[in-house]
Amino acid sequence: MGMLTFDAIVVGAGPAGVAAALTMARGGLKVIIIERGRFAGAKNLFGGVFYTHALADVLPDYWERKPPFERPVTEQGYWMLSPDSVIRVMHKSERYRKEPADAYTVLRARFDPWFAEQAVEAGALLITRTTVTRLLKDERGRVIGVDTDRPEGSVYAPVVIIAEGVNNLLTRQAGLIASDLPPTHVALAVKEYVNLPAKELQARFGLSGPREGVAIDVFGDVTLGLPGTGFIYTNQSGISIGVGMLLSEFITHRLRPYEVLERFKNHPVVRPYLEGGEVREYGAHLIPETGYDRMPKLAGDGVMVAGDAAGMVDALHREGTNLAITAGKAAGETALAAHQQGDFSAAFLSRYRRTLEDSFVLKDMKQYRRMTDFLESSPHFMGTYVNLLNEAALRYFTAHGIPKREMEHDIIKMVRERRSFTGVAWDMLKLMRAMRG
Amino acid sequence: MGNNNHMTAPVAEVSMPHVNLDDLIVCLKYYVDEEVAHIRIKDQAICATCDPKPCLAFCPAHVFETDRQGRMMVSYQACVECGSCRIACPFHNVDWRLPRGGYGVAYKYG
Repeated sequence: MGMLTFDAIVVGAGPAGVAAALTMARGGLKVIIIERGRFAGAKNLFGGVFYTHALADVLPDYWERKPPFERPVTEQGYWMLSPDSVIRVMHKSERYRKEPADAYTVLRARFDPWFAEQAVEAGALLITRTTVTRLLKDERGRVIGVDTDRPEGSVYAPVVIIAEGVNNLLTRQAGLIASDLPPTHVALAVKEYVNLPAKELQARFGLSGPREGVAIDVFGDVTLGLPGTGFIYTNQSGISIGVGMLLSEFITHRLRPYEVLERFKNHPVVRPYLEGGEVREYGAHLIPETGYDRMPKLAGDGVMVAGDAAGMVDALHREGTNLAITAGKAAGETALAAHQQGDFSAAFLSRYRRTLEDSFVLKDMKQYRRMTDFLESSPHFMGTYVNLLNEAALRYFTAHGIPKREMEHDIIKMVRERRSFTGVAWDMLKLMRAMRG
Repeated sequence: MGNNNHMTAPVAEVSMPHVNLDDLIVCLKYYVDEEVAHIRIKDQAICATCDPKPCLAFCPAHVFETDRQGRMMVSYQACVECGSCRIACPFHNVDWRLPRGGYGVAYKYG
């Protein structure tokens, strides 16, 4: 390849990397995106809900470019699952029925190639099937390029944007984060894509047509009451179903992820939705639950990091790709400014972080900074309360021929047996702190 | 009112369904690198002394298995590159790299 030089190098063609490349290419920079998969998205998997606001920021006319969305999310909410029951809190509204919608279900192996194509159209060079093996630094430790696994595959640029994903090997090599994520700060999620004819799927989920879709997050028995969630999302003609838990929980309880998922699929409440469906794909992915306080430094000399590699996830609201796109755009704009000033120092690039501090990305992450610790320190939280709610509902909805006042006492007594009054108060206090920041 | 003790059964008492993982793996598309294994055990002696061997359970593609002699076998060909073993091996005894460009899993849906 010889001495290949660009204005900017982006590692990884996921949402963060593509948003960065798109922004820089439109700003007139000569940009290369290096992707290890056979195509953008080949290695990517997520639950399935994509929020459009961040996409509209980088690509205002995205709707005319026909993004490969599955279904708009017109109904969403929570299922609180006990071993034999469920409480459903779902929100459906006519007000979700406008397009482009705020949220769509998405399959990444279809969406990511489309998004990358937009960056290519803007002038970025996308090189696939190429793994970046290390960062290249000068004698003062400044990042000046990357090495790839292609013969003579070194590429040089005054700024490198790392969007490598949750396995943050380069972020570590850059010295932006001191140590690996421990298993307590990363979730392992497994998912299946279950094929179902669109008509059948619509009938089962009460959808009027292809312009309606459901996103359900599931708590409680789906993870055997352990900290984590399950999900059921409707695609055009298939269901994305999965479950994610802190990796440490799989280890502690010696659980096999695919068995946890199979158990969820077999739940009497869930099974009818999947009946006759064909599993077309199985996959697994890590989700960084790094949290605001353990995020890497976002910039160094000649380098910035965005997306999962930087731990940009809001697990509570199952957001990630929108944080990644917003961060990628901010990193791209910072690179443009750096080129204008001819200054690629960590000091100059730190304006990237300041931009994110003023946006929802770091504001939300800061607000929920205690969430992972809360779940970790209250492992009983999901199981105990979800089961309690289901039992309380069973008593409430059943006529026993006993006075209602006694029924109310029964419920309160049941709560007390499971968790002391001070225990409940303490849990609620901790939850409030985790929510309010 | 029935007894509800099963509602709070500890995790260890929950019976898990049997899953034939091969049925799941078979629908995945892989481009196997026959020359280079991207996952290697650094030191078999460490695996031999590792008592719980958590990788046997948490790996979502069941890449790790012990043979009759107790050696840790690595079926890197089935790996979906999640990185769990890289992070969660209690002895950091897994040499985990990204597969060479173009190799490994390629999701069709994702």
